[in-house]
Amino acid sequence: MRTNPLFAVLRVCLILVLVVFAGFPIYWMASTALNVNSQLYNTGQVPWPQLSNLPELLEELAAVPILRWLVNTGLIAAGTTVLSLTLGSILGYALSRFKFHGRGLIGFLLFMTQVIPEALLVVPLYAMFISLGLLNSLWGLVLANVGFSLPVAAFILKGAMDAIPYEIEESAIIDNCPRMGILSFIVFPLIAPSLAAAAVISFFAGWNEFLFAATFLMDRDLWPTSVGLASFIGQYETPLSAVMGAALVFSLPAVAFFLLVQRKIVAGLTSGAVKG
Amino acid sequence: MPKIDFNGISKTFGSNTVIRRFNASVEDGEFLVLLGPSGCGKSTLLRMIAGLSEITGGELLFDGQLANDWTPKQRGVAFVFQSYALYPHMTVRANIAFPLVMDQFRKWHHIPLVNLFHRWQVMHRPEVKEAVEKIAAQLELTPLLDRRPASLSGGQRQRVALARSLVRDPSLYLLDEPLSNLDAKLRTQMRSEITTLHQKVKKTFVYVTHDQVEAMTMATRIVVMNGGHIQQIGTPDEIYDAPANTFVARFVGAPPMNLIPVHITGKTLTAQGATWEHHAGSPSGATSAIFGLRPEKLVLKPVGAGRMKARVAVIERLGAETILGCRLGGGETEGINTEDLIFVRMPGHPGFDWGDDCSLDYADADACWFDKPTGHRLPAVPTPASAVA
Repeated sequence: MRTNPLFAVLRVCLILVLVVFAGFPIYWMASTALNVNSQLYNTGQVPWPQLSNLPELLEELAAVPILRWLVNTGLIAAGTTVLSLTLGSILGYALSRFKFHGRGLIGFLLFMTQVIPEALLVVPLYAMFISLGLLNSLWGLVLANVGFSLPVAAFILKGAMDAIPYEIEESAIIDNCPRMGILSFIVFPLIAPSLAAAAVISFFAGWNEFLFAATFLMDRDLWPTSVGLASFIGQYETPLSAVMGAALVFSLPAVAFFLLVQRKIVAGLTSGAVKG
Repeated sequence: MPKIDFNGISKTFGSNTVIRRFNASVEDGEFLVLLGPSGCGKSTLLRMIAGLSEITGGELLFDGQLANDWTPKQRGVAFVFQSYALYPHMTVRANIAFPLVMDQFRKWHHIPLVNLFHRWQVMHRPEVKEAVEKIAAQLELTPLLDRRPASLSGGQRQRVALARSLVRDPSLYLLDEPLSNLDAKLRTQMRSEITTLHQKVKKTFVYVTHDQVEAMTMATRIVVMNGGHIQQIGTPDEIYDAPANTFVARFVGAPPMNLIPVHITGKTLTAQGATWEHHAGSPSGATSAIFGLRPEKLVLKPVGAGRMKARVAVIERLGAETILGCRLGGGETEGINTEDLIFVRMPGHPGFDWGDDCSLDYADADACWFDKPTGHRLPAVPTPASAVA
């Protein structure tokens, strides 16, 4: 089938507009990072990146423990991902395969966690974390994040597991495969795209989280980058180029992680949408 | 090889009873077919033998030992599913080897990387490789060993499913409508392949189907089921020639047995406006019953040459034979309702056309009698001479 050339041009234009729309803030972030503060606050920003300002930016970043913040962020994101996927896959499997009293109620309650605003839980969680000794601890923060990402992961994985014919599992039972073996040898490989999708969602929930981190972590050495970035904002001065530089560094690992799993995630988010 | 006994096996889902007090036994080395319409409980029964469904009541004995609570592993059965249930992410080789790999599984193999290494290592053991390749060669799967199920045809997938069940050399094979997803030609081919396989391995096969042709061609014994009850157990010939009731008579055979509700007056039978003489025995004391005749036992003759007057209403030419649907008494042929038609199977082309008047005849000994209210088969006793008008 031949496409009308006009449509082809329109399509390219539309894609360009969308790319600019999505990409400009990132470009502006890089451009701002490579402007010096005096330019930003006095003469106005130079719209293109000035690489000559790179040493100055690196000097500014060296003054803050950005590497430690990144490691903390990585630990929180990885902990959230691992815990959400481990518990989410077992929960999703139970919801998908076993009939038990209260299954519907559990599903409903899991949905409710997505309805409640995060800010509403800060105070109760704070009180709870004091008594549990989880305040000012990265593990405590991982637990708080998992509370929000686990239901999403469980639902994504449950949907994917629903699509696996139960006969495949029964066949594995006949072949002497233990129940946990069925999960790891049969179910997980078959829902790999959905696992990737759930991993991305949990990872970014942990990576980008700010409110709980800012509230529960007092120790500067435990801060993740999101809190660290906010700490740049001072009463009299905000070093915008340093903020943007740090934000750029903060974005890179996340982009790398996304690129790693993005081939799988598209299939995961659309799995079960059409008859395969 | 186990002998399986069912002692009053029942299965209920909530308040719905699917199987009621099922009593039967499966002898060592036989090919037992569970035959019945959809929803009659035959697949549920097979799943209960495999240990995939819980038994609600009664006893299931494997060689005299109570096996109700045995795990599928303890029962040592192979199961071929209707949908084949192959592992889509594994190659044909890995699919076939999977039962052997699982036989070597230990608890500590649950550790993620350890199990990967262990499975790889077992797959490469010479005895496993040899077993897989032997079965693959037997079922002509050797060129497909490194392909995934998605790239195989229905028949090839079916053979992979069979290979996977054969590789472990179990004593009992359970097959749940394994041919129903195949086209007619492939089904015929696979039918003979499975029969040959049974003769070769000499193991016990329990085969579930709703296709009476499969049951008749493959079984050494058939259990006909309906509504969770056994209707009849017997060899294919017994089931075909001496159906226990009208359900079996109608279910087995294509076209099914002709069942004509008749009024009996001595040797005279009356039905659908036709009257004819039946010289052999009829049910004793009954004035009405159901008269049954297999289509191939009827002969279509010119008018007056046979004892039942009829008119041809349907003709189905199958090449080697022709199926003719006739209406008794020479009634109208316009109606499309085929329920009251008497089917006749004739070899070749009998030379009758639609709407032709004809007559039907049969040998007296071929008739079957069934009770009208219950549908049970009735013995025919010779009509006393005094009753003849």
